[in-house]
Amino acid sequence: MSPILAVVGYAEPWWIAILKSVIIFAVALSMVPVVLIVERKLLGRFQGRYGPNRVGPMGMMQPLADIGKLITKAPFRPTTSIGFLFILAPAISMITAVAAFAIIPFGNVVDIAGTPVGLYGIDVGIGPLYLFAFGAVAFYGIMLGGWASGSKYSFLGSMRAAAQLISYEVAQGLSIVGVIITAGTLSLTEIVEAQEGMWYFIPQFVGLIVFMVASFAETNRTPFDLAEADAELVGGYNTEYGGSRFASYFFAEYLNVLIVSGIATTLFFGGWLLPFGIDPPTWVDPIVVLVKMFAFVFFFIWVRATLPRLRYDQLMSFGWKILLPIATLNTLITAIVVVAID
Amino acid sequence: MVEILFFIAAIGAIAGAVGVVVLENPFYSVLSLVAHLLSLALLFLLLEAQFVAAVQVVVYAGAVMVLYVFVVSYVGGQNLPIRAVNSPSLRIAAPLFAFCLFVELMIATLGTGLSAISSEGPKLAANYGEPEQIGELLLTKFLLPFEVASFLLLIAAVGAVMLARRRRGLDEPEVPAPLGLLRPAGTGTMAESAGGGFFRKSTASASDDSTSTGRDLG
Repeated sequence: MSPILAVVGYAEPWWIAILKSVIIFAVALSMVPVVLIVERKLLGRFQGRYGPNRVGPMGMMQPLADIGKLITKAPFRPTTSIGFLFILAPAISMITAVAAFAIIPFGNVVDIAGTPVGLYGIDVGIGPLYLFAFGAVAFYGIMLGGWASGSKYSFLGSMRAAAQLISYEVAQGLSIVGVIITAGTLSLTEIVEAQEGMWYFIPQFVGLIVFMVASFAETNRTPFDLAEADAELVGGYNTEYGGSRFASYFFAEYLNVLIVSGIATTLFFGGWLLPFGIDPPTWVDPIVVLVKMFAFVFFFIWVRATLPRLRYDQLMSFGWKILLPIATLNTLITAIVVVAID
Repeated sequence: MVEILFFIAAIGAIAGAVGVVVLENPFYSVLSLVAHLLSLALLFLLLEAQFVAAVQVVVYAGAVMVLYVFVVSYVGGQNLPIRAVNSPSLRIAAPLFAFCLFVELMIATLGTGLSAISSEGPKLAANYGEPEQIGELLLTKFLLPFEVASFLLLIAAVGAVMLARRRRGLDEPEVPAPLGLLRPAGTGTMAESAGGGFFRKSTASASDDSTSTGRDLG
C-alpha cells in the first residue's frame, strides 16, 4: 500500500500505522510524568533539599497526584477572555507536540512476529522540516492562549514568546544544516545509519552547541524562559489557565523537551547506535534511544538549576548577533569541508 | 480518502480567504489567513509536494504570519470600524483591477487546468517532491532566477537594517524615570540621605525638573 499524502521512507499497512500511533502516544504520555518527578527530585538535590517525598514510595507518585489534582479542577475562564480561542489554544499546543513526537526514530525497521515494522511514527522524506512545521503551528498555541486570556501578563508573555521563538528558530534550523550536509540525507533514520562510524557530535560540535542553546529558547526553558518569567509576568501566557487546560500547556512543554532531546540524540548522538561497535539485538534499540534522551533531559534540568534567567535584550542580541553568525559559519565550513573531502 | 481530504482543504482555503476580507476584527482576519495558508499546505501535500508544503507552513504560517499577528495584536485591538472608500477614483479603479485579475485567472485556468481534470495526471517520479530534486533544479535549470531572488532578499534585508539603525546626530531618546516622578521629594531615599536628591533640589533653582531627581535616585 502506498501512502496517500507524500513519499515516506517506509510505509506499513494502515492497521500497523494506527497501532503504532497509539503506542507512541502512550509512550509519550507516560514519559512526561517520569520527567516531572525526575525534574523535581533533581532540583531538590541541586538545591540541597529532598524534593517531593510524601506521595507513594520515595515520593514517586507525586506527578500522578499533581495530574489528578489538575484534571479534577473545575474549568474556568476570565470574563475578559475570548471563549473559543481560550479553549482552542492549549489544544493546539498539545496536538502539535504529540504530532512532532512521531518523527523520533526509536529504531530501524524490525521484524515483529513476521511483520516488518518501523520503530518510529513516520519516516518523512523532509525529516527535520516536519519538526519545524509543527513548531511553527505550536507558536499559535502560545500566542492565542496569551491573547485570548484578556490579561496584560498573558499578553506580554505571549509577545515575548513570539519574538523569542522566531528569533531562535532561525539559529536552530541553521545549526542542523551541517548534520544534513554531512549525512547527505534528510531522513532521520538514514542520518542515524550514516553515523555508523562516528557520531556527529564530534565533527558537528559547533552545530550541537548552537542547537542545544536554541532548543533551550525554543522550549521556553531556563535560562530562556522569558515567556513565563514568574518574577515579572506571574506565569506568562498561561497566567489565566487552570485545571486541565493548564495541564495541557504543561504537558506540551515537557513533551517538547523530550522531543528536542530525541532530535539531539538522533542527529548528534547516533540514535539507537551504541559506541565501540557493540551490536545488540534490535529490541535493545528503543531502550538505547530512551536512555540517551533522558541524559539530555538531565542536562536540561541541570542547566535550570544552575543558570539564572537572561534579560530580554540580552536574549535578543545573543540570538541574532552571536548564535546566528556561528550557525551560519558552521554551515559554510561544513559545506566547504564536505566538498573538499569528496 | 484523498477526495475527502481535498474537499476539507479546499473548503478551508476558500473559507479562510473569504474570512480575511469579511471579518471586521483585524486579529481574526490574520487568524483566518493562517487557516487559509495551512489549508494550502494540505493541498500541496495532496499533490505529493511535501517539501513545498513544509516550507509553506514554516515560512508563511511560521514566520510571515507571526509578524502580522505581532503587529495586529499590539496596535489593532481598538475595534475601529472599517472606513468606507471616499475617493471616487478608487471606487472605479478597485473593481476594475479586481476584474482584470479575475479575467487573468480565468484565462490561465481555462487555458491549461481544465483539460487535465479528466485525465489521469502525469506519472510521478520515484522521489518526486523530495528536497533533493528541488535543490537540483534550483541549482541547474533555475539557477539565474534563484540567484536573482536571493539577491533581492539580501538587498531587502540590508535595506531594513539601514532603515532601523540608530542615526548619528539625533538626540538620545528621553527616558523618564517613573520612580522619580512618582515619589514626592523628601521621602527618605538613600540618595537624599547621602546629600543628593531632596537637599540639593531644595537649594537648586525652581526650574529644576523632576527627571533630574529621578537620575539622582538612580
